[in-house]
Amino acid sequence: MMNDTKRMSTRVAFVDGLVDAANDDSNVCLVSADSLKALRADKFAEQFPKQFFECGIAEQTAVTFGAGLASTGLVPFVGTYAGFLAMRSIEQMRTFVAYPKLNVKFVGLNGGIYGGEREGVTHQVYEDLAILRSIPNFEIVVPCDGPQTKLTVEAMAKRNAPGYIRVGSGEEPIIVGEEMKFELGKARIVEDKGRDMAIFVCGPALRLALETADKLAEEGINIVVVEVHTLKPLDVETISSVLSTVPAAATLEDHNIIGGLGSAVCEVAAEYAPTNIKRLGLKDVFAISGEREELWAHYGFTSEKIISEIKDQLAKI
Amino acid sequence: MNSDIKDLENKAKMLRKDVVSSVYKAKDGHPGPALSIADIVATLYFGIMNIDPKNPSWAERDRLVLSKGHACPVLYAALARKGYFSVELLPTLRELGSILQGHPDMVKTPGVDMTTGSLGHGIASGAGMVAASRVTGLDYRVFVICGDGEMNEGLIWESAISAAKMKLNNLTVFVDVNGYQSGGSTKDVSGISSIDGIFKSIGWHVQNIDGHNISEIVNAIEFAKKDDRPSAIMAKTVKGKGVSFMENNNKWHKGVPSDDEYNIAMKELG
Repeated sequence: MMNDTKRMSTRVAFVDGLVDAANDDSNVCLVSADSLKALRADKFAEQFPKQFFECGIAEQTAVTFGAGLASTGLVPFVGTYAGFLAMRSIEQMRTFVAYPKLNVKFVGLNGGIYGGEREGVTHQVYEDLAILRSIPNFEIVVPCDGPQTKLTVEAMAKRNAPGYIRVGSGEEPIIVGEEMKFELGKARIVEDKGRDMAIFVCGPALRLALETADKLAEEGINIVVVEVHTLKPLDVETISSVLSTVPAAATLEDHNIIGGLGSAVCEVAAEYAPTNIKRLGLKDVFAISGEREELWAHYGFTSEKIISEIKDQLAKI
Repeated sequence: MNSDIKDLENKAKMLRKDVVSSVYKAKDGHPGPALSIADIVATLYFGIMNIDPKNPSWAERDRLVLSKGHACPVLYAALARKGYFSVELLPTLRELGSILQGHPDMVKTPGVDMTTGSLGHGIASGAGMVAASRVTGLDYRVFVICGDGEMNEGLIWESAISAAKMKLNNLTVFVDVNGYQSGGSTKDVSGISSIDGIFKSIGWHVQNIDGHNISEIVNAIEFAKKDDRPSAIMAKTVKGKGVSFMENNNKWHKGVPSDDEYNIAMKELG
């Protein structure tokens, strides 16, 4: 599967975006918690040595140090494993970045099981979006592939707000490519075959949603696929307007089904457009190690499993 | 210089009166840990720091991070007396709608250089401020005031190691060694000791001074400036300094004086 697909590491894409951002703005910096290698960011450190800061294996320091940098007008990106940011240093992200609205950006590696894959639970994270979504002032983006990661970094570097970008691990498939339109905070209808139902999706799982739409169309079920790459600020208008046109919807994310995209869409539905919604993702479990495609399949991230769940859902309404 | 020292001593006395008065009028706050650092705060704001109260966000200003944020009544007093905001606001401490939050807030309060409160963060944020000057090319110093109890926090030490590695010589940290933390003496609660030795072992320039002696504070800052390492100044202090019934009585870590206690305190502070 996917052998003939073009691939691009979201980590490398992040660094490409950061280098571009630093070329545009000499205030852009990178803060590492001994994560330079993991970030694939040697290139940045070599090109911009004064704008690179190594704090050692000390995430709480890296985040708070970033707050200090930002307080002087710099634009630091603090990057390390997403779980270490969103759990070990979450107080620093909340109280010393989000609360004073300091312009610090966070890049979380190994997001989801597709990103965390063989590392096991300690280096995986599927709770980050739930945690961060509940904190005021954060802008949160989950890019679907490398090109979108680069666009996200460039967009965030120009915004004066705390931000979080969730990236993956290795050579992820390119799903939509460089021609795609990306507007931070704006959900995107990627495929609109019909309104038999809608799938709202974020991250690399967009590929599965598109496969699902193609396969369902062959069976005469025509759906709309909406990519919600920005979880905050959430595009309530687009989500509610799509929800109001369908009898049912599903959400798909590489995250616990509690607190992430699924919850966000359900919140919009409950307030603006009540709809039957199936939340697909990790069903409140800790994952295991494994090769990424196998791991995804193990936890139901295949178009076959998604179709089966959707058909069950549609049969009940 | 002697007249300058005398003037700074008077400023410290004024700040102490502001601390007692604001906590008394607000009916909330931490007088003990604020009184122990009054001499350090007075020296920094009235004798050392290059600041412009009319332009609180001046990029080249010296900065202070009150890492032991609960001691903020003395920071607020200094900022008010410097003219960042009206002295009349001091009694609004912790009041609904006040610019003077329960712990320092860099957005709401003019002159506060960094939000603080939950302990352990000042060295890391101060290090970031100093490191930033290497990008911006601006010349300023950053002062951090920590508590000795605060030295329990792991973040203090991870950030201190980073600051030493980065040779952030414009970072000066005062440790308010008053011997107490919220739950009692540092000896009993956390057992932390030889804080100076820890700083030395990780590559900091370290001095031990009397934290109530303005001359020693001034001299220590001058010595710190001359060293190429970040500097830690162990300031031996008395918690509650200046008010007899508050001194070394940890009940006043957080507490509000009665009418009688207030009158006694203000009389003692002259």
